[in-house]
Amino acid sequence: MEKLYVNEIAPDGAINTVGLFYSRGEAENIIARLKAIPERAECHYEVVEAVAGAASTNPPKQGILTQLT
Amino acid sequence: MRGTTPRREQGMADPVLASMVHALGLETAPHYTAATPKIQAYRDSWVKLAKFRDGPVNPQRLEVADPAEMAKQIKAKAMDLGAHLVGICRLQPHMIDLGEDVPHEFVIAACVAEDYEKVVHGANAVEEEAMRTYAKCTEIATELAAHVRNLGFPARAHHNGGSEVQAIPIFYQVGFGELGRHGSLINEKYGASFRPGFVTTDLPLAEDKPREFGVQDFCMNCNVCQLNCPGDAIPKEHVMTRGIKRWLIDLEKCYPYSRLRDEYCHLCVDVCPYNVKSHPETYKAFMKERKQVGYKTPKSW
Repeated sequence: MEKLYVNEIAPDGAINTVGLFYSRGEAENIIARLKAIPERAECHYEVVEAVAGAASTNPPKQGILTQLT
Repeated sequence: MRGTTPRREQGMADPVLASMVHALGLETAPHYTAATPKIQAYRDSWVKLAKFRDGPVNPQRLEVADPAEMAKQIKAKAMDLGAHLVGICRLQPHMIDLGEDVPHEFVIAACVAEDYEKVVHGANAVEEEAMRTYAKCTEIATELAAHVRNLGFPARAHHNGGSEVQAIPIFYQVGFGELGRHGSLINEKYGASFRPGFVTTDLPLAEDKPREFGVQDFCMNCNVCQLNCPGDAIPKEHVMTRGIKRWLIDLEKCYPYSRLRDEYCHLCVDVCPYNVKSHPETYKAFMKERKQVGYKTPKSW
């Protein structure tokens, strides 16, 4: 079984990990559905193998209480 | 409002679980077929209440001059119905399942705490308690939604019998606590030992705010849940999603212990040190038992 992260890259370069998925088909299906959201039109997505360091480890920009949107 | 957060399919609809079950030559996960009559009755109860999630709205609408007072009354109502934690926030797209449309402005979270004392009585006792609280949350959400509709405002209950909302982002926003390493939200009084029900509504309500009390920093160094996970499914590394640390549970490692055996597994939540404040003696007794079996393997296995 594959282990794949889907990362979302915002226009400003910020990377958020969407989740952990278990097949390329599953990951690509999620990406297709996210791309259909108008507010995400300018985001890019990547599928990366879930090895150490593959997911986003960006520190919070405004601290832990940053709003999730 | 359309949702933006993917929801993993549950049960046999999850392709990961389905492939593991079928690889064993089985039709369904052993854990589901091993339910006691009591547990099955709890599960049946939220299925039965699903059709009451929504309903007609009273054409006579209550005038709400003070959303703060209204929020106070709604919280008191939820507590009267049996909730231990009640919080309110404005609904946002990331709180809704990707692709779903929830046409409401606010969400009320009403949670019931599990009786932590059950941990020393074994996995079946823990599971019955978990299902009991899920069933109670379903009742509370259903009655609270009906109460709000009777005030003249649309309202929909979200619970195990049907839901379009995401628990963790809502818990965070209403100030219940912070996300822990085990993937559940940690509250300083109840740890992660509580279950939710939600009501989305247009009733004007004052909002609660997120609260921070050091959980994410604590989880960076604690590792107790990771050490006790029999499947080694809890990772050392975290990822970041919009400023929040998330430790993504490996389901391929979790399911053999949580779904492919008859017995329930809730160990990551049970061993969390955030349980110690409210249940010091029970926690110590339980962890002594865990230590005696070398952490990873429970006594009964």
